[in-house]
Amino acid sequence: MSQDFPRDERPEGATAPEGTTFSRRHFLTSVGIAAGVVAAGVVPAALMAQSANAQDATATSSEPPVAPGASADPLAEIIAADGPANYPGHPVHYAKPAGKEKWAMVIDVRACVGCRKCVYACVEENNIGRNSGFTYIQVLEMEPGKIDLESAVLDYDEAGRPDKWYFPVQCMHCAHPPCVYGCPVQATWKEPDGIVLIDYNKCIGCRNCMITCPYGARHFNWVRPEVPAAEINPKVPLGEKAWTAEKCTFCVQRTRNGQTTACVEACPTGARKFGDLNDPNSDVAILLKTRRVWRLKEEYSTEPMIWYVG
Amino acid sequence: MAMTEPTTPQPGIKRFIKIDWNVGALKAASPRYWSWVGMLVIMTTLGVLAWVVVLTTGGNAMAQRDNFTWGMWFADYMFYVGLAAGGLVVYASVHLFGAEQFRPLSRLAVLMAGLLTMIALLGDLTDLVRVWRIFWFVVTPNISAIFVYTGSAAGFYMVLCFVDLWILVTGVGGEKLAFRMTLIALPVAIYLHTTTAFVLALNKSRELWNSAVMVPIFLTSAVASGVALLLICAYVLQHYHVLEFKKSMFRSLATLLATVIITDLFLLVVEIATVYWPTAAKAGHTLRFSEFMTGPYAVQFLPVLILGVIAFSLLAGRKTRHIPAIQITASALYVLAIFFKRYTLMSMGFAIGPLGQTQAPYIPSLVEALIAIGLLSMGMLFFTLAVKILPLRVPEEEHAEAGAWELAEATGEPVVEPGVAL
Repeated sequence: MSQDFPRDERPEGATAPEGTTFSRRHFLTSVGIAAGVVAAGVVPAALMAQSANAQDATATSSEPPVAPGASADPLAEIIAADGPANYPGHPVHYAKPAGKEKWAMVIDVRACVGCRKCVYACVEENNIGRNSGFTYIQVLEMEPGKIDLESAVLDYDEAGRPDKWYFPVQCMHCAHPPCVYGCPVQATWKEPDGIVLIDYNKCIGCRNCMITCPYGARHFNWVRPEVPAAEINPKVPLGEKAWTAEKCTFCVQRTRNGQTTACVEACPTGARKFGDLNDPNSDVAILLKTRRVWRLKEEYSTEPMIWYVG
Repeated sequence: MAMTEPTTPQPGIKRFIKIDWNVGALKAASPRYWSWVGMLVIMTTLGVLAWVVVLTTGGNAMAQRDNFTWGMWFADYMFYVGLAAGGLVVYASVHLFGAEQFRPLSRLAVLMAGLLTMIALLGDLTDLVRVWRIFWFVVTPNISAIFVYTGSAAGFYMVLCFVDLWILVTGVGGEKLAFRMTLIALPVAIYLHTTTAFVLALNKSRELWNSAVMVPIFLTSAVASGVALLLICAYVLQHYHVLEFKKSMFRSLATLLATVIITDLFLLVVEIATVYWPTAAKAGHTLRFSEFMTGPYAVQFLPVLILGVIAFSLLAGRKTRHIPAIQITASALYVLAIFFKRYTLMSMGFAIGPLGQTQAPYIPSLVEALIAIGLLSMGMLFFTLAVKILPLRVPEEEHAEAGAWELAEATGEPVVEPGVAL
C-alpha cells in the first residue's frame, strides 16, 4: 500500500527528529543471528536476566534515588518500583531514553469536558488506522456520585453535559504492567523511562496483552491500518502495525525529544499534564505533592503512571 | 494383525516402526467408509481454505474484535484439551490403580488424547495471522506469561500421547514401561489443564475468570467430557466391530462419569454461590454473572446447568445406569454441556469489558466456523483412518478377559465420532 512504506526506506535524516534512531531492524537482525548461532544460550540467559530483574526490581534499581529520604517517600517507592523489572534488555529506540526521566501524567477530571480533542490529536499523531476502529484514548461519560465503569457511556454524542463527568482512560504505563507479564514472546516491555512499548515486528498477534490489561488500553489491528497519505506521521510506524496490538506510547517520538504528548497539547482546558516525576519542578511532580490524587483500579496493584485529580 | 509379536505376516499388513499397519483393511473398506472419509477430507479442505482466507485478508475475516479478543479458537482449545484428558485418566487408572476393566480402552484412549491435543494446538495456530512469528515463542519466551506454559505443555502432551500409543501398540518395554509412561503422562495431563485454566484464572483484569476454582473445575470438566466421549467412541467402535468391550466395562465407565459430573456441577454451584452471596458479592462480578444467568448470554450458560443435571440424573439411577441408550445419551448431553461451558467461559471474559462496556454475544464468522469444522474433521479423519489401520485391540495375553479374537475390522464399516459438538 502506498502509505505504509517500509521504515528502512524513510529519509531518516529528513524526517526523524534529532536523536531519533530507528534501530528495530538492526536489533531484530542481531537477535536473529544470535538466536541462530547460540540459540541454546540465548533463552536461558534471557530467562535468567528477567527473573533476576524481577527479584531485584526494587532492591537494585539502576535508577538513582529521586530525592533524599527516598525510602520514606511513597512516591519515590513507586518510581523505584517502576524500574527495569520488565526490561528485557533489547529496547527498540524511537529515541534514546534521555536519562533519568520517569514519565507520568496527571489528568484533572474536573476540568475535562469530554470534547475528545485529545482523542483526535492522538489519532493523527500516532498513525492510528482510520479504518482500525479504535483510539488509544477512550473518554467515558460517567454518572455523578460514583466511579462506576459499568454505567459509563463510551460512545456519547454530546460533550460537556453539566450532569455528567468525563473520564479519559488510556494506557497507564503501569509500573507493574500485566500486559508485559502476559506477552508470551517479550514483544512488549517497559523502557527505563517508564514507557511501555511494543515491537510491531515481533508481536505474534495472540492478543493476550489485551486480555491481561485491566484498562482496555490495548487494541488490535484486525485490518491493515490505513491513513491518508497526506496525514501520515513519518515518525510513527504504520504498515508494521497490521495484525499486531498497539496502544498509547506517551508519544515516545515527541516526549523523548523535548515535546509534550499530543493529547496534552490538544487539551483546550488544560486538564492534562505530562512530565517527569524525577524533576521536582515538573507539573506532574508538583501536582502529586500538592493535590489529592487517585488512580484507576489502584486495588489491582499495577501502579499506573497516570493519576487523576478531582 | 495387531499382535505385539506377529509371527506370520498376514496379507495387507505392512510393518513400519515396529507397528503392523493394516493397509489391507483400507483396500477392503466399504464404499460407505470411503464416502465418510471423503466427506471429512472435503470439510478439512474447506477449513484449510478458510485459514488461507485469514492469512491473506487478515484478522477481520474473523468475528473477533477488540471487545471480543478471543473467540471460537479459544473455546475449542479448552474443549479439545479437556476431552483429551478423560482418556488419559482412564488409561492411567489401568496402570496406576489396577482398573483392569478399562484395559481394552487403553490404546483408544491414548490415540484420542493425542489427536484431540493436536487439533487443539492447530486451532491456536490458525488464530494467528502471522503464524510464522510463533518462532519467537521458542527464541524469547516470557517466563511470566502463562501462555508459554500451556502451549509447551500441550505440545509435550501431544508427543507424549503418540509415544505412549507407540509403546502400547508395539509392546516395547512391556507393562513396566507402560506403567512408567503413565507416571509421566498423568502429571503432565494435570499440568496441562492447570495451565490452561490459569490462562483464564490469572487475569485480574477479567473478574469472572479470576477465580481459584477455575483450576479444579477445568480438571473435572475435562475428565467428565473426556470419559463421556471415550464411552461414546467405545460404543461406536463396538457397533462397527472394531473393538469389543464387556458390559461391566461400560457400567464402570458410566459410574465414573456420574461421579465426575456431579463433582463438576458442584464446583460450578460453589462459584455461582460465591458470586451472588450478599457478603461476598462484588458489584462488578454480580453484574457480569447476571449477563449469563438472565441476560443475553443465558442461552450459552443455562444449557450447561440443564444438560448437566439431566446427564447426571440419567446416570444416577443404579437400575438404569447399565442401559447403553442411557449411557450414550447422558454422555452426549454432557459433552455438549461442556462445549457450552467452554464457550461460556470464553465469553465470560468479554461480556462486560474492562472499562465496563457491555458487549453483544459473539457469534463466530463463517470463516471461523469453517476453520473449526475443518480442524474437527481433520481429527475425525485421522481417527477414522487410525481405527482401521492401527492395531488398537488389546491382545488377549495382555488382558485375559478381552474376549474372542476376531479380525472384525475387515467388515469395513465407517467409523463415526458422534457427540462432539461444534
